[in-house]
Amino acid sequence: MPDQSHVGRRYLAPGQRIAPESARATAQAIAGADPIGEADAVPPTFAAVYCLGPTLAQLLSDPEVGIDLAGLIHGEQSFEWPAPVHPGDVVDATAEITSIDTRRGMTFVRLAMEATRPADQAVVCRATSLMIVRAPA
Amino acid sequence: MTAPAASEIAIGDSVTPLSRTVTQEQINAYADASGDHNPIHVDPEFARAVGLPGTIAHGMLEMGILADAIASWAGGNANLLSLSCRFSKPLLPGDTIICTGTVVSVDDAGVATLEVGASSDRGDRVLTNGRATVRLSR
Repeated sequence: MPDQSHVGRRYLAPGQRIAPESARATAQAIAGADPIGEADAVPPTFAAVYCLGPTLAQLLSDPEVGIDLAGLIHGEQSFEWPAPVHPGDVVDATAEITSIDTRRGMTFVRLAMEATRPADQAVVCRATSLMIVRAPA
Repeated sequence: MTAPAASEIAIGDSVTPLSRTVTQEQINAYADASGDHNPIHVDPEFARAVGLPGTIAHGMLEMGILADAIASWAGGNANLLSLSCRFSKPLLPGDTIICTGTVVSVDDAGVATLEVGASSDRGDRVLTNGRATVRLSR
């Protein structure tokens, strides 16, 4: 289980390509039966794919932290988009564990993430996540 | 698309509510598109084994629908500067999510802050404590 000793751990996921087909498929999945609002744009929450996903995957497979996926709940999420991303962009994503608290049998893991575009040094996303890990039943 | 003009936006203005029924097919499509194949979203037996009533939608799918609702009001994705929320209650396949937003402030730089959220047609408040900032036009 995650504990205080894991605060400050960093996960680096460089070279995340904003694949146009993946951005479009995500926009369509969000739209469901509705038409996509902007067919050639990257949906804002695609940050879950280029920033949150690849860094969180490393945390979840970090054997020293030992998070059980079956007990994992996404509790809160925030995104800021200081500059727009475009299909085809490549970004570097990083995440850091900023706090870990345990109460009532649940562990609250807070992460701060950032994605930057090396081509122009622009920060394209800043994000925070709260992941809640329930103790095994 | 153009953002609403700062001069025409007042505190208390509302985003046009967006209702969208989320199907299991849509959840599966989101899992494939996003790469998030956590079985609680796609495998009913696994979901029940960990104490859920069945599969649940990805929180990020719900947040994506909320972003659609605000971006549509804001005149496009590029005018949505930030978005945050708490995933309070699960959304189940077949549920309709209803996304709402209300302007709570407009600053001198023409950025509107909105309180945003979403409920289900079963009355659950699924996305709470939501905030968004939107760049308005001059």
